[in-house]
Amino acid sequence: MNYISSYCHISSASCSVNGKIINTFNTDSLDEIISELYTSLGIKYSKFHKMDELSKVGFIGTELIKNSFPEIESYGENDIALLFSNQRSSAKTDIKFLDSYKDGGIPSPSLFVYTLPNILIGEISIRNKWFGENMFTISKNFDTEYFTNYCNILLNKNAEAALCGWVNVDDNKIEAFFFFVTKKDLKQLNLPLESKILSGLYTAS
Amino acid sequence: MITYIGSENIISPLGSSAQENFLQVKNGKSGINLFKNVGVGKEDLHLSKIKILTVDYKFDYLLSNCLNNIVNESAASIIDSEDTIVIISTTKGDIEDNLTTPIQQSINKLQKEFNLAHTPIVISNACISGVLAMNTANNFIQSNTYKHAFVIGADAISSFVLYGFQSLYAVSDEPCQPFDKERKGITLGEAAAGVLMSDDESVFKTEPLEFVEGTSSNDANHISGPSRTGEGLYRTVSKTLELGNVNVAEIDFISAHGTGTLFNDEMESIAFDRLDMNNIPLNSLKGYFGHTLGAAGLIESAIAMQSIRNNTLIKSLGFKEEGTSGGINILAENLEKEVTTILKTASGFGGCNASAIIRKLK
Repeated sequence: MNYISSYCHISSASCSVNGKIINTFNTDSLDEIISELYTSLGIKYSKFHKMDELSKVGFIGTELIKNSFPEIESYGENDIALLFSNQRSSAKTDIKFLDSYKDGGIPSPSLFVYTLPNILIGEISIRNKWFGENMFTISKNFDTEYFTNYCNILLNKNAEAALCGWVNVDDNKIEAFFFFVTKKDLKQLNLPLESKILSGLYTAS
Repeated sequence: MITYIGSENIISPLGSSAQENFLQVKNGKSGINLFKNVGVGKEDLHLSKIKILTVDYKFDYLLSNCLNNIVNESAASIIDSEDTIVIISTTKGDIEDNLTTPIQQSINKLQKEFNLAHTPIVISNACISGVLAMNTANNFIQSNTYKHAFVIGADAISSFVLYGFQSLYAVSDEPCQPFDKERKGITLGEAAAGVLMSDDESVFKTEPLEFVEGTSSNDANHISGPSRTGEGLYRTVSKTLELGNVNVAEIDFISAHGTGTLFNDEMESIAFDRLDMNNIPLNSLKGYFGHTLGAAGLIESAIAMQSIRNNTLIKSLGFKEEGTSGGINILAENLEKEVTTILKTASGFGGCNASAIIRKLK
């Protein structure tokens, strides 16, 4: 049996870690929400400012999980699998890239490199020097069965832990849910990794 | 328990079956041609383009036809079974037909058309998606989550992707020349390719092979440039060998990624050098099919499977003179030899790398 040892919700209204609200937002501006979250992390990471919104939200969720679960530092560099998913791939950046050339303009290389959703996994790997398993999937809804099955498979195989995220950044809305899966109930949250429990946590945002 | 792999299919400019495609590449035929005014500045560019593919919804066409071809090569009862999962590998899917809600409609259509019991899983992990999709299928089968997996990779050529690679100065003005000294970048291609994987040998109409193991690893280095030490590729191949209990000496052939860009091919040569794989015959098939993104890992695996079946390794088209520092054994000519065990690798944007081992049944 594997366990959820930390989880985090980010929406356009608020951000919470392990069910406790840590930020509320009084703005509709995606940029302001992301900037407020980044500032509250209290870190300086110059690569952050070059990322697209999807990667920024993925990056912030990962930092929040790490803050709530410092034991993450004790895992080896190949040990943590990164499983991420969303509904619309990199659509927000795809549209921006298309706009860069559509009226005879020059296609933007700095936008093009973000027109793949797994770049988010790359950014997190670079930040943390994690070399483990990678997978980005696209599905209509947060697929609790897939995440439960696949985390269990990888933790039984060649991963010691998994960082998972359902990360959606569309138009002016953020909807993201992150969770960290471990082999033991290290934080005593009493949350075995089961599809039903995952679904309950996700909707309790 | 063995994961069997077989019923391979390829739809490319060179044909609509794996056998046809294998015969064409064996004869040195490439799908790459010059197309007029297709570049962002109306340049003429080389592409591996399927000429009959003039329909709207090209992605849907490719998925549906490829899956149908594989279904025809397998036991009739499994496609709509509860025990079966379909795994799709793609990078940009239906980008030209659906920019705002990508892929979902195509998947819904496919699920209805084939009456699938489960919604297909869609893997979009840059150019390693195809190898990752096979690895995922193997993991599902080994864990008894599903018994059978149809794994399909597809991507169509779009201005979106072509202009993007042009913006990175990554497109060659000649047909791509992977691993060659004079290589200048990629040639874009379009294709679909797939396999059936199962724990049951009897569902394949032709004798299957064994999928031994597969893993992935990130470079943790750069989002759009490969690691100078081939870090992620080195790590994933090491893991796959270890978990698969396979020695370097057992690998008869490497089906490499070999995009034809300066940095990618150099990185691969360094990783293979670090792995002591310098003498193992190796090719890239991008000179025949171009870079087909989400389909690449599956096309190249399907051709490698044909190499095992036919005991013929295919030369790396476009390669003349060694242009990488790792000291690797790139196939300049076809080679007839007994092939038992092959290594497939892939590397992509986001620093991702994946590898898989396939071998003849003992």
